[in-house]
Amino acid sequence: MRKIDNTETNRKIGSRSGLAEILCEHKGKGKQIALLSVNELKKKYKGAALGTLWAVIKPSFTLFILWFAFAVGLRSSGDVLFMGEKYRRFEFMLTGYVPWFFISEMIIGGSRSIRSNKQFVTKLSFPVSNIMTFTSLASLYIHLMLCVIMCIVLLCLGHSPSVYNLQFVYYCFMMYLFFLVLSWTTAPLSAFSKDFENLINSIITGLFWLSGVFWSTYDVENPIIKKIMYLNPVNYFVNGYRKCFLTHSFIFDSNYTTETVVFYAELIVLILIGSHYYKKFRKILPDVL
Amino acid sequence: MEKQPIIEFKDVKKEYLLYKNEKQRFKAIFTKNKGVKRHSALKGVSFKIYPGESVGIIGKNGAGKSTILKMITGVSFPTDGEVTVRGKVAALLELTAGFSQDMTGMENIYLKGYLLGLSDSEIKEIEPNIIEFADLGEYIDQPVRTYSSGMKMRLGFAININIRPDILVVDEALSVGDAEFKKKCRQKINELIKSGVTVLFVSHSKDAIAETCSRAIFLKDGKVKVDGTVEEAFAEYSKK
Repeated sequence: MRKIDNTETNRKIGSRSGLAEILCEHKGKGKQIALLSVNELKKKYKGAALGTLWAVIKPSFTLFILWFAFAVGLRSSGDVLFMGEKYRRFEFMLTGYVPWFFISEMIIGGSRSIRSNKQFVTKLSFPVSNIMTFTSLASLYIHLMLCVIMCIVLLCLGHSPSVYNLQFVYYCFMMYLFFLVLSWTTAPLSAFSKDFENLINSIITGLFWLSGVFWSTYDVENPIIKKIMYLNPVNYFVNGYRKCFLTHSFIFDSNYTTETVVFYAELIVLILIGSHYYKKFRKILPDVL
Repeated sequence: MEKQPIIEFKDVKKEYLLYKNEKQRFKAIFTKNKGVKRHSALKGVSFKIYPGESVGIIGKNGAGKSTILKMITGVSFPTDGEVTVRGKVAALLELTAGFSQDMTGMENIYLKGYLLGLSDSEIKEIEPNIIEFADLGEYIDQPVRTYSSGMKMRLGFAININIRPDILVVDEALSVGDAEFKKKCRQKINELIKSGVTVLFVSHSKDAIAETCSRAIFLKDGKVKVDGTVEEAFAEYSKK
């Protein structure tokens, strides 16, 4: 007689909340996720001689153009006032563009993740929430490579290393977490309805100009608009990166408590929404994809 | 004491939502699927399958066979009722599902192994069997995208059959390459059956089912019509 192991699987999602479901699905899946995230990178850049290097070349090229435009061409564009000090336009943009590139990858890639990994949902018994985790990990690898480049450029521009640089770990982790949680909502919805995916794509460009990548949201004159800018989580990270690498100020600086509180409130709301939508759609996704 | 069933369906119902168009689908995100047509694929199916049994499942197209198999393999979920599966399922349905085109055959063995819930050491143990069974030669270290469709099938079959399943799900419509390999597959399946694995066999042919199964379930319009011997089930099945 064969021994039946006790891995009883009940094909039912019911009593648990969406969040508990997502956490359970990740238990003991580390290796699988790591392998799949590397595969995601390979898949994206397959068939090219430079392979994954393209992931770094493309944004680096954009950065080069920025440098050319602002440091060589539009010299008159002048300096940017940020947290009371003047910075060269290029270094200001560099520290904003690097996190922005990751954020836009996370938002667009995150919302597409389930649809582009359809086979895991419709043909295998696969913990669907892992899909968002491994696709966003692939974006994180690229981001880390870009950050190394950014640090080298900043060194060349004369910014000496500082203890405050280490705060980067906090911002990077929170950024990853925040947009991963966002994809708990966007990915199932985009998989369910293509219209939702298009909606996300059209928001991105607007979001770029509304966020402080090009200009400083801390130095808006109108106090009401300045407060409204706190609502945009992109600003929290973009300005956070600048706090690490340009201004060397502390994460929980008391001048910015409101911003921090708003950010954490948004994170909690997102977790709740994501948990709700993930649970709602997990069961029907295999049928509608 | 009664043995615990390895697969148990308790009044399982499955409804598919049929959206008229994309607009209705988009609306459904915010509303509660009001006015959406529903198709009832399973209308309360109950059965128990005990360890070591070989059960054939028959029924016309659209009777709900695939829906049941999908629930057993854990892909799809019931709308209502309860499905319990106790043990590892090897489904010879979607053999190449989960393969990464850009990884080598060897890497894919690990990937698929993880996907099926195996640990590193377990995969290492069965790895030689898989490689031998798939018989891909030097191709095992080449990316899967360079494989012919037959080679992919072979690798997929070799992995699925070697994970030492408790439950084996076989669809007769499965095609796995040339006659020689087919024979090898049949042998391996029979070997597993003899070892006491629970088998679910989906087919339209009475001979094929009678050969391997002692029990058959005949499905009609999402309900269990007959659950008995192969003879009984086919007698009802061939009735007009």
